[in-house]
This record gives sequence, structure tokens and C-alpha cells, in this order.
Amino acid sequence: MANAIRPFLALCGLCVSLVGCATPPPKKDKLAYQAYQQQNDPLKPMNQAFYKVNNVLDTYIMLPVAEGYDRVTSQPFRNHVTDFMNNLSAPGQLLCFMAAGKPTDAGTTLVRFLVNSTIGMGGIFDPASALGYHRVYTDLGLTLAGYGVPPGPYLYLPLFGPSGLRDATSIPADVVLSPTFPAPGSTALTAFNISSNALNLVNLRAELIGPIKNIKETALDPYATFRSLYRQHRASELHTINVSNVPTVPAWYPPAERRAMQKALDAKYRRGF
Amino acid sequence: MTNCSRRVLLGAFAALPGISVLADLMPAAAAAPQKSAAEQFIRQSGERLVNIVNGPGSASQKAHKLRVLVDEIVAVSQIGRFVLGRFWNVATPEQRQQYMALFHKLLAFNITTQIRAYVGITFQVLGAQNGPEGETVSTVINRPDHPPANVQWVVQDIKGALKIIDVVVEGTSLRITERSDYASVISDNGGQVAALLEAMKNQLKRMEANE
Repeated sequence: MANAIRPFLALCGLCVSLVGCATPPPKKDKLAYQAYQQQNDPLKPMNQAFYKVNNVLDTYIMLPVAEGYDRVTSQPFRNHVTDFMNNLSAPGQLLCFMAAGKPTDAGTTLVRFLVNSTIGMGGIFDPASALGYHRVYTDLGLTLAGYGVPPGPYLYLPLFGPSGLRDATSIPADVVLSPTFPAPGSTALTAFNISSNALNLVNLRAELIGPIKNIKETALDPYATFRSLYRQHRASELHTINVSNVPTVPAWYPPAERRAMQKALDAKYRRGF
Repeated sequence: MTNCSRRVLLGAFAALPGISVLADLMPAAAAAPQKSAAEQFIRQSGERLVNIVNGPGSASQKAHKLRVLVDEIVAVSQIGRFVLGRFWNVATPEQRQQYMALFHKLLAFNITTQIRAYVGITFQVLGAQNGPEGETVSTVINRPDHPPANVQWVVQDIKGALKIIDVVVEGTSLRITERSDYASVISDNGGQVAALLEAMKNQLKRMEANE
């Protein structure tokens, strides 16, 4: 794994040195400096370069393919593809929930994986939702966020799109935590991996045809708009995890201690993570 | 596994949907009698909007009707002031006036171009809860051939009339997104509000040409 990461890091270093960093405004201009800090995008020149590359790839390859796919498939079919892909990512998410100390969500994810993989015919159908086990999303980035790891600078990655230093860890983690990863290598497995990933990508892009077109048409600066949308979306995912899995203060603790723990817990939720 | 334990397991599976249906019905039954004013406002506004979109008339007639409705139910000035953020204090009185006029037109255009295409749209009001900025009304919007979308409407009482001050789609707020969009244009042009006004004018021209 370390061998695979080294060229990636070298490439990142090369890109930063070639394109350079954004210049922060002088500290004495307090409001502008605060806004710069809040934007948290010191690698903006590199990110914008990748944004342009992705835009070209999207316009000439991804979008035409997704539009064709959208025309030949129906919404129920696309929903089943989404369900299938969600089921494949369930084991990884189970580990993330366990690592994050979210037993309720971990249990829900486990039941969903067992029910959908069997009764749901390998995840093509989602009977677990009908049974009341609704999907809660997580990934390594969100787990790290729960530990208090800051998001780090914003990153716009080639092919993957909006991300951040913390959230980008989910990309290799998703590969390692996929149920097909520990299986012995074979031609059939490689073919399955490639085709399922490609289908996932096209399916996802097809579902986003309308929203992405709208943003590009109506935003004055689509790059900044996507950055803001990404950050808000991540914050809302984290919020969903936190409100869906409320840790309870053990009932057998002495009342005074319970009250203090509850107060601290409430303050933590009000403040947010 | 013995026959008995298998029967228990199957029985549990069979009973689960029943339990979830009951759980769905119970809060609805409890919440049914009281509906807040904000909830009713969103229900009525939504019905008017759906009637325009699904009703008769040409595209430009519908766009005109939608713009009139948007003016009536959306707190455009408040949103405009929020979106310009700290640059409001930097702008001259003329620039503020010009900005508000442009913002008003652009917001109406943005909303109408997005909604106009939603023929066959239906919506369902789920409930309302109090937030720091006003009451938040949750809805689910259904469009044929699209997955349902969760949309929240933040409603505030402005001078005695209820108005929408924000729309939150899947956790992303319209006015926060607009604010970072506009701030980015101004920052990229050395903090000049004039650059934003220019970009807004060009955008408006493009949208008018596309209509």
C-alpha cells in the first residue's frame, strides 16, 4: 500500500510546486484575512487547474455517457444500481461506525448488509429500509471528524472532484474496506471491480445531470459554489450521524454524575463537532 | 437451526414491517391537530406554485406568473443583504441600490428557470420546527423520474407577513451558497463590488437571452 501512495504524494507535491499556493491577504486587513481563513483553500490555484481539467473530461466524456445511460435506463433501475453499490460499501461503513463508537448505526448497517445481501438478492433490492433499518452514511473522513480531526485545506481532486485533506483519506480506505479487496485476485474479480466502479460512476453522474447543469448555469463562480456546497453537504452528513446515534448516559451511574455527563453531552451537541 | 427458532425468526421478520407502519402512523396522528402558521403558509404557497408549473400557458407566461409569486412569498431584500455580507459596508449607496435591483431579478430568474422544468411536480409537507432563524418547514418534493428530494423552507415573520428567507436542499442552504459565490467574485477582483455588479449584469443578460 505504501508503494502505491508514494507516487500519489510525489504527484501532489509536484502539482503544488508547479502551480503554487494562493496568496493570503495582509493580516492587518482583518475582515479579508478572516474570510481567507474561513475559505480554507490555500491550494486554490492547483484546485482551480484540476477543476478545469475535470470540466473538460466531464463535458466530453462523462456527461455524454451519463446522458445516454439516463435515456436507456429508468429511475427504478438507477435506484437498484444505487442500492447495490450502497450494499457493497456497507462492510466498510460498519467498521467506520464501530471505530467512531456509534453502536446504533453500526448495528443498523450490519442488519442492512445481512438482510439486503440475502433477501435483497445481493443488495439489488433494499428490503431493510422497509423493515425500518434506514441507511446512515459514513466514511473514514467523517469518522476522523468525529475524533476531532480538522478538515484541513480544501482539495479539488482530478476525477474525484471536491474533497479535503481529511476527507481524501476515504478514497484509499474505500478500496481497502471493499468486500472484494481480501478475495484472491482473478480475472473475473478484476472485471467485476472495473465494471461495478464504472457503473457506479455513470449512475452517480446521471443522477446529478440536472443539479450540476443548474449550478453551472446560475452560479457566477461555479468553482466557489461547488466548494461551498461540498462543505455544507459534509457538515450535514456529520450532523445526521450525530443526531441519529445519541449516546445515552448509563442508567446505573450516580444521579449527580449522570446530570454532569448529560450537561457536557448537551453542550457538545449544541456546539457541534 | 431448529424448526422452532426458525419460525420465531420468520415471525419476527413478518412482524417488523407492521411495527414500522405503526410507528409511522403514531407521530402523524399525534401531530395532526396543530399546524403552525408557517406550515400552512408553505402548504398554500407550494400549492400555488405547483398549480402554475402544472397548469396551462406558454413557458414565458408561466415564468411571469412564477416571478410574481416569488416576489410575494420570498423575502428578497433580506436574502440580498445577507448574501452581500461584509461587502455591504464597503459598497456605496448607489452600488447597494444597483445590487438590490440586480439581485432581485437574478433570484427570480434562478428560481423560475429551475422550477419551470419541473412539470408533474408534487410535494408533501412533513412538519415544522423552530430554529434560530425562524420556523423551518420540512417538505418532500417528488418529480416523475427523479428520486424524492428533502427540502426545508426557513420562514420568518417580516413586518407582519410570513416570507421565505432560506431554502435548504439536502443540508445545503441556498443563501449561504450564494454568499460564498458572490464573495468569491469580489475577492478574486481585489475586493471591488463593481466587479460583482458587472458579473451579475452579464449573468442576467445570458439568462434573458436563454428564456
